[in-house]
Amino acid sequence: MIATELIVATLLEVLFVGGFMLLYPRIARRGLLFGVYVGESASDSPQARALRRGWDLGVLACVLASLATAYLVYRLAPPPAFAATPLFVLLLGGVVVYLWAYHRAHGLKQPGPPPLAVAPLALSPPSSPWLAVVTVAVGLVGGVVALAYTWRHYHALPALVPVHFGFSGAPDGWKPKTFASVMLLPLMTLVMGVGLGGLVYLVAHAKRGLRYPDDGRSLAAQLRFRSAVAVLLAGAALLVTVLLTFLSVFSVRIGLGLASKLSPVVPIAGGLLTVWALVGTLVIAVRFGQGGARLEQPAGAPLTNGLADNRHWILGVFYVNRDDPSLLVERRFGLGYTVNFGNPRAVALLVLFFGALLGLAIAALLS
Amino acid sequence: MGPLDRWLRWLYTIQCTMTEMTSPAMLLVDRSGATAVYEQIADGLRRRIATGELAPGAPLPPVRTLASDLGVNLNTVARAYRLLEEEGFVRIHDREGVEVAAPAEAGAAQRARLRTQFATLLACMRQAGFTADEVRRACESEFGARAGASGGGAGGGS
Repeated sequence: MIATELIVATLLEVLFVGGFMLLYPRIARRGLLFGVYVGESASDSPQARALRRGWDLGVLACVLASLATAYLVYRLAPPPAFAATPLFVLLLGGVVVYLWAYHRAHGLKQPGPPPLAVAPLALSPPSSPWLAVVTVAVGLVGGVVALAYTWRHYHALPALVPVHFGFSGAPDGWKPKTFASVMLLPLMTLVMGVGLGGLVYLVAHAKRGLRYPDDGRSLAAQLRFRSAVAVLLAGAALLVTVLLTFLSVFSVRIGLGLASKLSPVVPIAGGLLTVWALVGTLVIAVRFGQGGARLEQPAGAPLTNGLADNRHWILGVFYVNRDDPSLLVERRFGLGYTVNFGNPRAVALLVLFFGALLGLAIAALLS
Repeated sequence: MGPLDRWLRWLYTIQCTMTEMTSPAMLLVDRSGATAVYEQIADGLRRRIATGELAPGAPLPPVRTLASDLGVNLNTVARAYRLLEEEGFVRIHDREGVEVAAPAEAGAAQRARLRTQFATLLACMRQAGFTADEVRRACESEFGARAGASGGGAGGGS
């Protein structure tokens, strides 16, 4: 039963990720082609259209290869062993096809001086500080509650503690009680809740990629896109906090014999989180487009610095500008924001967040 | 249009209404030009303040926001703001940020310095082949722009 559910989940995952990869070139800002700024007119040229068709075929080939891998892997070894292999094949193939498209797009690049830098002089609408504050506060409260509850009952826990749960909510995996195996979940709750809350704040203050002259249309589109991404992230962060807090508390309660299975809040929060993340991402992609691309139509005016300056982008994916104080900038290809790798503060935050998650994962493996 | 989209649009409309954000004036920086970036920023702001496009008391973007939008160093924007403060175009407050300063009666020393600068500029223009009529028209155009801006409100991004 679990094997069947895993196979269905993997197939849905592959189809969803593949579908998004097909969507990416269609939601990009006009003028950008596979991570390269080629200019507004060149991005609509027959060569650009041919390149997009090549991308579609490449992605479809990757999806088929991924499904074939799934078939082979599941025939040879039943899940959950190698359950992530099909997705890995799809993502690896996607990287190869992207690099091909990126290098072809470079050939369409127009030579010329550095693009204009543009900034609005009027103060922009306030970027919902309460959203980030509430998200961080909830993450903090959830993390502290989970830590305090687990710490309080640590000595009363038996020698074996539950660390894995089946679809029914009953534990199906146990480990010897160690500090790491017990405290892992509450620490994860704190790191994820506060980290995602902090990300909401950074997104709400991310760099704006504007066009000029366009009567402020791209600015308005940018602000709406930024708000939508912040709302999506805030919702996801709140659901992650609820999910992990209940998971932490009920792991302890099951270990103590006070409960036989997880609270129904856990699957409900997990289901809501999945639906919120998938539907929200899809709505933002289709309705708003990357960076508000679909709201700024007709986007005839050229893009300005940041997004338009090819000198600051490595492989069209990594933005490196030492002068720019921005922490997050709009991605050229894909959906959402990326880090300014030229800003030491941005890199430090990235390393801190992922370092904490990696440290917890290693602690879990070693415990 | 989905409920999320309607909600976001409603939220954004409220925000725009509260802050009276229409088509904002834009500041341009041309990095291929010979002029230093901080001078371009200062000049762009100076012209908009002088023509009345940015009214006295109007708040200007914080240093970090302006530097982020332009993709330039924080010090570059801070230097431009300091220069404008010295010239009396803006006031810098530690907490409230930067705002456009009201025109003030210049002292005798400052008047003399500006006259010297104006004379130097006139000499350069004469050397570059400008006629007296062309210089007069340029002056009238600048003062006319200010009168138009203060009479008809701030213009769009230019």
